[in-house]
Amino acid sequence: MDRENHDTIRFSLDGEAIEARAGDTVAAALLRARITTFTRSIKYHRPRGPFCLSGTCGQCLMRVDGVPSRAACRVRVEEGMTCARQNGPLGVDNDVFRAADFVFGEGLDHHHLLTGSRVLGRVALEIARRLAGLGELPSEVQLPVPGQMRTVRVAVVGAGPAGLAAARAAGADLLIEREPRPGGSAWLRLDLAGPDPDWVAQQARGFTGELMLGADCVGLYPNDSALPGNALLAVRAGPRLVGVVAERVIVATGGASQPLPFPGCDRPGVYAARGLLGLSTLVGEKLVVVGEGEELGLCVTALRRFGYAIERAIDIEKIQPVRALGNPVRGLDTSAGERIRCDAVAIALPPAPLHELASSVGAHARWVAKLHGFAVQVDAGGRTAVPWLFAAGRIAGLSPVSSGEAAGRAAAS
Amino acid sequence: MNDKAIVCACEDVSVRDVEDAIAHGFGDIESLKRYTGLGTGPCQGKSCESGAMRICEARKAVPPEAQVPFRARPPFVPTQLSAFAGLELPATGYRLPATRLRPTWGTGPHPLQPKTRLPEKVDVVIVGGGIMGLALAWNLAGQGPQKILVLERGYLCEGASGRNGGGVRAQWTTPLLIELAKESIDFMGRFAQELGINVWLRKGGYLFLAHDDDTVRRIEYGAELQKRYGLPTRVITPGEAGEIVPELDVSRFIAASWNPEDGVVFPWPFLWGYADGARKRGAQVETFTRVTGIDVSGGRVRGVQTDRGRVAADRVVIACGAWSPTVARLAGVALPNVPYRHEIVSSEPLKPFLGPLVSMLGTGLYFSQSMRGEIVGGMGDPDEEPGLNQTSSLRFMTRYARALTELLPVVGKVKLLRQWAGCYDFTPDRSPILGETPGVSGLLQMSGFVGHGFMMAPAVGRRMAAWMAGGQDEIFEKYGLRRFADGRLIQETFIIG
Repeated sequence: MDRENHDTIRFSLDGEAIEARAGDTVAAALLRARITTFTRSIKYHRPRGPFCLSGTCGQCLMRVDGVPSRAACRVRVEEGMTCARQNGPLGVDNDVFRAADFVFGEGLDHHHLLTGSRVLGRVALEIARRLAGLGELPSEVQLPVPGQMRTVRVAVVGAGPAGLAAARAAGADLLIEREPRPGGSAWLRLDLAGPDPDWVAQQARGFTGELMLGADCVGLYPNDSALPGNALLAVRAGPRLVGVVAERVIVATGGASQPLPFPGCDRPGVYAARGLLGLSTLVGEKLVVVGEGEELGLCVTALRRFGYAIERAIDIEKIQPVRALGNPVRGLDTSAGERIRCDAVAIALPPAPLHELASSVGAHARWVAKLHGFAVQVDAGGRTAVPWLFAAGRIAGLSPVSSGEAAGRAAAS
Repeated sequence: MNDKAIVCACEDVSVRDVEDAIAHGFGDIESLKRYTGLGTGPCQGKSCESGAMRICEARKAVPPEAQVPFRARPPFVPTQLSAFAGLELPATGYRLPATRLRPTWGTGPHPLQPKTRLPEKVDVVIVGGGIMGLALAWNLAGQGPQKILVLERGYLCEGASGRNGGGVRAQWTTPLLIELAKESIDFMGRFAQELGINVWLRKGGYLFLAHDDDTVRRIEYGAELQKRYGLPTRVITPGEAGEIVPELDVSRFIAASWNPEDGVVFPWPFLWGYADGARKRGAQVETFTRVTGIDVSGGRVRGVQTDRGRVAADRVVIACGAWSPTVARLAGVALPNVPYRHEIVSSEPLKPFLGPLVSMLGTGLYFSQSMRGEIVGGMGDPDEEPGLNQTSSLRFMTRYARALTELLPVVGKVKLLRQWAGCYDFTPDRSPILGETPGVSGLLQMSGFVGHGFMMAPAVGRRMAAWMAGGQDEIFEKYGLRRFADGRLIQETFIIG
């Protein structure tokens, strides 16, 4: 965490002024101001706050400057920005529709709700229609933002340790990274023996292609354009889209933090451990960390180093959390009959491989329980079932640097 | 504070919802996604696929090694329409992609194929577990004791019945389609009572926009015909259309055809409802089972070969939508149907603002707002080549985004969430193929619905079952395969896409 002095900037939430530090995301600024409820959930109007803090979950969507459902953890605060919470028509803190959560206390079987009567069915339809949706229409018209097409030989998606190693070994033309800096999980310092920021800087210096930062690869398609190449990538850079035609693609998108489903797990105050390690503020002093295996141990150590006191580390293979307490969550009941108090709960499960890009074009993926996800199947050279597609690092269930280098070499040959 | 254990926060799906789905037989992750809605929200499954799999694993829903991830749908990060609209793809030399979509489990039978044996002999085999085949099975099974077997090569909803936009309308330009659609929409209104599952028919109307004089003449002809069949269709001015959908840029069209009683449904529950209903009436519905041959001898159909063995039957119905020609070829029969890919995309969920389904005749753009608040829409592509292609394309996204933001400028900053593709089943005259096959007695056709079979199926299923039981019905003569040889074509012109 960066504790230097920062310039203060002002923005607003639901019309009230909030101070933020330059560089804060909206999520970080609100958490710093001790605001934890960011929205109401779509069906039951349950209070929700940010979880993953890295743009992979959908728990922190907010209206920002008249645009519906933007991820508060991805948007940097700007002076004068107006943010508004969604789906609480009479105020998110006292949303009357939260009654839905109690009326349907056991859940809502929408398939079989009121099927007995045509009249009641129509009433249900009208109510459901009115309660549906999340954001309101945008406040302003936006004309098409001119995009760009380009052609490369080898493109790498993800500039974490695996992607950096692969891009360098492949002599890739383009390395696409969604964060504003390369390095991915190396910045979290979970594994002190693994790649660190110095290693990242060294790799980035040795990479001769173009590094495209703050760019999301939103789609990977078999190329059907007139330009020559096997793959067509849709890359969102700011408000515009860049179409990249590539001969070969290496996917090294890493993993996504996973929630742990137990009663109350979705309430504000339950965060992904890795998300907290990337946040520019603390969310309290004392944490309970719930997780599994090696990831739990690594996160506990890193969170301590980050400035948190760890009230308890719970390994779900021995003890399970049975209930989260309070809003925001201020404690847990466990299967051992204990009640543990804390300021927030951190979940430390292995991040699930982000296989989407690879599996969407036909790379095979197999469930690996230990990884908590579907791992892309590759050979020793990172080759997938798709001839032009390679995968490295966590999405293939492999250690980042060696698998990245292997995939890079194979893609170059 | 309620104690639900939420597994998918985007769509508020709880552990209990997942357990219910498993209990209903939806324990494979692809079906689980459809039945519970998990993975269909803004995070696109990044935060719930793992949790749901762990529940399936703990409950031993299906062997974990047989699970494949649900098909990932771009864009993987919600992305604004204005970004897609601004990308010009140099598609002058448009061609089919060199790499086609592959199954994520590799080769051979689907890992979820049941291990049980199929019956040796049945009365009717229905090939295709889409809405046509299932509606027929349910109606046939209601006639009394006969053995009916439905064979579906994937999960329920894998084909076009699970991939369409859910539009249902009676605005057609041939009397038969108007009649079939009217009966079907009426049945959809009581589907929940008949089959015990909600299909969320919302009658927000259909608004067809006409941008030139020629199209205006077409909608005037259609409105006149539909009026004769008791529909409230009328031709309205752009100003009147603007009152129905205030966000429309009314300078983009010169007239519109409006029927306030058309609507949209949620397609998937039709399949589950019909399948469940058919099973309760004694029919057998088998998923992940592929038909590999059709036995014909002495001018009669004798049964089918499958990747789970042979089943003898005197009647085999081909209800495979765009795959019908491929299946018919197994019996040595050539169908004139041609498959064309059709792509669709769904936006982020928005508060309700759009009542009707809007379609621009000519460009093939259409869009409506689902019960969950998403703008669901698609657009035909004049350069599309024929083929059984279910690959998603970036080209479609850019064309659709341009067309939609031109007509509905306020959605420029709305984000697209999920795109997919299905296949239209085109016939030379855009009308269906129903009934007997010349030269192969007992082989029955039920295909060729050109992207609108879904909304006709309840009526077609009922009439086909009655006809198969010996009843008289002219449509099985008029729309028979023979018409193509005899030159008695029946042109339908109101096709979207």
